[in-house]
Amino acid sequence: MLNGFKGVLYRELSLYKRKARKQILAASISPLLFLIAFGWSFGEEMSVGGLPYITFLIPGLITMSSLNQSYGISQELNISRFYFHVFDEYLIAPISPLEIVFGEALYGMFKGLLSTGLILIYSQLFSVKLTFSPIFFVAITLHTFIFSSLGIAMAMLIKEHRSQATLTTFVITPMIFLCGTFFPVERLPAVFNTAVHALPLTYSTKVIRASLTGGAYVPLHMMLLAGYAVMFFGLALYAVRRVEA
Amino acid sequence: MNDNSNNHKSVLKVRDLYKRFNDNVAVDRVSFNINEGDFVALLGPNGAGKTTTIKMLTGLIKSMSGDIHYYGESFFDNMKKSKSVIGVVPQQSNLDRDLTAYENLMMHAILHGMPKSSRKEKIDAALEFAGILEQKNNEVRTFSGGMQRRLVIVRALLHEPKILFLDEPTVGLDPRIRHELWKLIIKINQLKKTSILMTTHYIEEADKLCDRVLIINSARIVAEDSPETLKNELGRYVLETFNEESIDKLFFATREEAVKSMKDSECACKIREVSLDDVFLDLTGRSIDA
Ligand SMILES: Nc1ncnc2c1ncn2[C@@H]1O[C@H](COP(=O)(O)OP(=O)(O)OP(=O)(O)O)[C@@H](O)[C@H]1O
Ligand SMILES: [Mg+2]
Repeated sequence: MLNGFKGVLYRELSLYKRKARKQILAASISPLLFLIAFGWSFGEEMSVGGLPYITFLIPGLITMSSLNQSYGISQELNISRFYFHVFDEYLIAPISPLEIVFGEALYGMFKGLLSTGLILIYSQLFSVKLTFSPIFFVAITLHTFIFSSLGIAMAMLIKEHRSQATLTTFVITPMIFLCGTFFPVERLPAVFNTAVHALPLTYSTKVIRASLTGGAYVPLHMMLLAGYAVMFFGLALYAVRRVEA
Repeated sequence: MNDNSNNHKSVLKVRDLYKRFNDNVAVDRVSFNINEGDFVALLGPNGAGKTTTIKMLTGLIKSMSGDIHYYGESFFDNMKKSKSVIGVVPQQSNLDRDLTAYENLMMHAILHGMPKSSRKEKIDAALEFAGILEQKNNEVRTFSGGMQRRLVIVRALLHEPKILFLDEPTVGLDPRIRHELWKLIIKINQLKKTSILMTTHYIEEADKLCDRVLIINSARIVAEDSPETLKNELGRYVLETFNEESIDKLFFATREEAVKSMKDSECACKIREVSLDDVFLDLTGRSIDA
């Protein structure tokens, strides 16, 4: 019944095993640089919303970094689809698109959660005090699921490999910087402020920041995240259903 | 058309399969049957629509119209079940080059729900047959073209499919390996009654191996019969006359008739038995002229 799910995960994890060290190292560099550049250097004198800036920054780095990792499976899927035709093996096998999406999404979540763990380790090194509640775990799970699903959908919907980079430059990167990761979205000009409230990253960052820094989260935001999760999963499923060799 | 059709179970039934890429009709209302144990060749010039046909039959691309039935059940309504009886050797390798040979086969075994208890054993047997047991833990990208081809082939057989689609399976294989491969294919065809649909540009392979040949030209099936019947229809003997620019061919039912005709002509000429190549050229050349 779950053959497709297991097969997809077997493939991804077999590949990951071999590149794990390099990948983890690569994933650990940029958050560290951000921490040093922004958190540490002007961490002392600056505070945002009553929090020391570095404490404000850590949850933002978590959502940014895990988004990069989870959405990043898009690139891997792309290469295996366009260059190696590996997707053909899935299409020929007696498995359903649902299993493919679940398998790939779980792999994306695994990568996203790994980078989350990395940043939590950093936060200890920088002695940032964080609180952990079930809300955090639910939110980070939804967050990585949403962006893994989006990654799958994009990898399947685009017509050629090059479009991937365009999408990252014009959509993903701006989103990463503007959705409250480095500064509160309320400081954005009104137009942008409204625009970023259409994006899930804004809500996952808010919920995750609130839960990690002992603030109160807005239940509506969590519900919106659940809504995005359903929507993007549906999109991924639709995209895998119509993909052809 | 096939003598066996009534005695054997229908494995695959294709009706009016149709596919167009933009304005280019790649497969035009193709219909045929494959029964249990059939060994069928799909022959045609480059771009005739062979690969596109196989891709539609195996769920890699969607047909625009037409019906496909496996064991009497609609492919589109029973995708999972239908796919479990299919094995495919694609024209273009789709191995995961970053995985090892073993991992490629294991992924296939898992995707096809092969029982855990026998998986490893079967994979090792497959690797042994492909002659790459020693390299089983090497990444596929380090393999030669022939090694990769062999791996693709044993992978297609791993889950013991009931019908095997072979899209130019022997391209790039040396004669010894090719011989070994055909021995294996014939064995599973005869012993396990696995049905086979293959494409090849080595027409003598089809002539020797297949009980039925489908000839496809410009997206349409233009002939379907046993190699013998097709050759008989054209004439068992060919009289080739060599001219400056071309070779003219005349076909005769018997050698005597050919010899008689040769006596009348004065040019350089030769009589030989007709081959499936002649049939192929006759059928596919004719409509290109037209
Ligand atoms: N993905 C595609 N997009 C557009 N056209 C395609 C595509 N795939 C095949 N075609 C066209 O469909 C026609 C049939 O191609 P197909 O690959 O089925 O031929 P074939 O009989 O397998 O040829 P060959 O012997 O060269 O492998 C060709 O005209 C080809 O250009
Ligand atoms: Mg082809």
